[in-house]
Amino acid sequence: MAETGEPSIEGFRCADCGAIMIDQPMACRACTSRTPPQAFRVGERGRIVTWSTVLRSFPGVKTPFVSAIVDLDDGLTLKGTVRGVDPESLGVGLPVSLVFDDAGGARAPDGAPYVGFHFVKAGAAE
Amino acid sequence: MSDVYVVGADLIRFGRYPDRTPAQLGAEAALLALDDAGLTVRDLDIVYASSTFNAASMIGQQILKQIGQTGIPCVNVSNACASGATAFREAFVAIKSGLYDVALAVGAEKNPKGLLGGPIGDGPSPEGLFGSGTTPAMFAEAGMIHAGKYGTTMEQFAQVAVKNHHHSTMNSKAMYQRETPLEEVLASEMIATPLTKLMCSANVDGAAAAILVSEKKARELGLSRAVRVRGSALASDPYEPRNPVLLDADSVTRLAVSKAYEMAGVGPNDLDLVELHDCFATAEILHYENLGLCGDGEAGALIDSGATALGGRIPVNVSGGLLSKGHPIGATGIANIVEIVMHLRGEAGARQVQGARLGLAHVLGFSSVAGVAGVHILEKA
Ligand SMILES: [Zn+2]
Repeated sequence: MAETGEPSIEGFRCADCGAIMIDQPMACRACTSRTPPQAFRVGERGRIVTWSTVLRSFPGVKTPFVSAIVDLDDGLTLKGTVRGVDPESLGVGLPVSLVFDDAGGARAPDGAPYVGFHFVKAGAAE
Repeated sequence: MSDVYVVGADLIRFGRYPDRTPAQLGAEAALLALDDAGLTVRDLDIVYASSTFNAASMIGQQILKQIGQTGIPCVNVSNACASGATAFREAFVAIKSGLYDVALAVGAEKNPKGLLGGPIGDGPSPEGLFGSGTTPAMFAEAGMIHAGKYGTTMEQFAQVAVKNHHHSTMNSKAMYQRETPLEEVLASEMIATPLTKLMCSANVDGAAAAILVSEKKARELGLSRAVRVRGSALASDPYEPRNPVLLDADSVTRLAVSKAYEMAGVGPNDLDLVELHDCFATAEILHYENLGLCGDGEAGALIDSGATALGGRIPVNVSGGLLSKGHPIGATGIANIVEIVMHLRGEAGARQVQGARLGLAHVLGFSSVAGVAGVHILEKA
């Protein structure tokens, strides 16, 4: 994710077999091709694969929140928090949009802001 | 190549041991297993010791410092929740190779309290900002996929906990030994939908051990209580497009069990009992299908039918499972083998699966980035 300018998310795709992965290995995890999968920028639309409303988490973590796995339309799968939804209204295949945020306002030791993301129902204003 | 036999197997009662070290727990289990086999530490040729959190401090050698420093080789194993199965399998391989006649596989753990896992590395904690990395949330999400695909209900997931807690009332070495009716399971604290607290494994300390021997040694000792290792398989998570963002309990388990069935020359219909990795109630539902105990999409109906309860067609987790007996991570994979051994000998008491001849033990381990599964198939000798 870019620390400056317009944020975006990268996936990595193998040129030999088309497999997509979330980070860049030294060789393709799927077909073992020694040509490292190459970065591509993914769009911000996707669909919910599964979710859970989390009521108990690690100490200090504010609950409840909705954790979800989302397949982006471009092939990459992401885990993220879904905000601004009634959990009862969630379903498999529900279209969602990726929204970039400030990662809860956290700051690096040198004061630099972080870039985070979450999901909202597609079409919802945020 | 000749067969490998288990001639000793036992565990300590799972619970909380604030005043004892993991090595002391492991040493107690090792002595119980040696006594069970009628052997002493001087008979051991090699030790494989598993502990997810203590392998790096050489828990195996620490155990030998408790029970006798005979100078034998000792390998320490950490492989997440499959650590115990990995130690057992390495002991199996060592005997099978012909290099050794008597091996000890021992697992011991003192689990950290509270939710296992947690933030690692620099920067803000991702928990809550980027979904959840807690194990209940990951297995909740895995269960919700099954629910979405096949209509599995909250009640069906909860019935797994009702069943396994019921089983543990017959196991004096289980952490919990208390009935939990469906209403109580459903009404207990919601951790991550659809998992309530009683649908999450009991976080405990514990230790378990097994003595594996060559065919020659087994015949010397007598085969009357011996159990033959028919299949042993370990698999690492294969590539799946959503892995590791989505916990994939399925493909790695299916890979391991297919190899174990192939090695043993048996199938799921030949099994008399199964101890599988019910770290969460949703996981047991997934593994019914992963292990081939029913067809895909039939796991909800299988739990409803009572087939997986004691007295049913294929009893699962009659020990009480991780949900109720408890889940001391590095000991779990040996403890479920110990349970199978007890049934194959006909020594499981009130929870005995009548006439058991063939049993399967399964574990699944994972970190935030990788997975492992171990499967063993054991037969009455
Ligand atoms: Zn490839």
